[in-house]
Amino acid sequence: MTVTQANASAAGAVPDRDKRHLLVDRVYHWLMAACVLTLLATAFLPIIGYKFEWLGLHWTTGVALSALVLIHIVRAVIWQDFWAMMIDRADLRNGWRHLAQALGRKGTVPGRPGKYNVPQKLYHAGIAVLVLSIVATGLLMLLKIDTPLWRRNPYVLADYQWGWIYVVHGFAAMALITMVMMHIYFALRPDEWRLTRSMFRGWITRREFEEHHDKARWVADDR
Amino acid sequence: MQLFRYSTSIYGGSDVLIGASWDLLKWFVLAGAVAIAAHAAIKAMTSRRTDRA
Repeated sequence: MTVTQANASAAGAVPDRDKRHLLVDRVYHWLMAACVLTLLATAFLPIIGYKFEWLGLHWTTGVALSALVLIHIVRAVIWQDFWAMMIDRADLRNGWRHLAQALGRKGTVPGRPGKYNVPQKLYHAGIAVLVLSIVATGLLMLLKIDTPLWRRNPYVLADYQWGWIYVVHGFAAMALITMVMMHIYFALRPDEWRLTRSMFRGWITRREFEEHHDKARWVADDR
Repeated sequence: MQLFRYSTSIYGGSDVLIGASWDLLKWFVLAGAVAIAAHAAIKAMTSRRTDRA
């Protein structure tokens, strides 16, 4: 047996990885990313001057995103740990301790987060509000176009009501650009690579788990 | 800077609201760029301070 083989065999024998994302959740994440990028491109490229037939790709991708979001909500509520993404009392306590530490006060050292830290939870809440606004208004906007499945009927709402639906859709879409920029930035930061890797391969190392997470707040699988 | 887009009503009268102003697009991109630059700068400064300590 060579040294490389011995190392590989030893690495295989010791469970030194913790599962962070199941395959189904990683597939969901990347399909959602593809949909969001397609929707942003088909929405904004024509506005900044790249003219093409955008509407067909835009509404079909929008319907796909709506279906994905619905699946995600059902999964999050029934099969996933819904509360892992919610800010809890421990987050508030740790936030206060971080603030006290940043202000130079002595006190209890802040604890580590569970599966997600507070900025990730806040980001998720922001994205949820934006995407749900976009999906809800986008589905209503489908009433204004002919598709193979239905004929347009824009008269179900008054002009001013349509105006506000377009306002919400437009503002949420532009805010989504800001959020996507920040998301990509954090994914590329070397100190966050473990999270980016986990979205490709599913796991973080045991060392990363122990460095960044509280075992009591997130019971990860050894796989 | 306009926040909304309006079109002229075919029946006359007041303008009709038709959506958010696309002039705001650059401001949302700028907000993202500023947030990224601010975070990167704060991280660089705090890590330098930690290294020195």
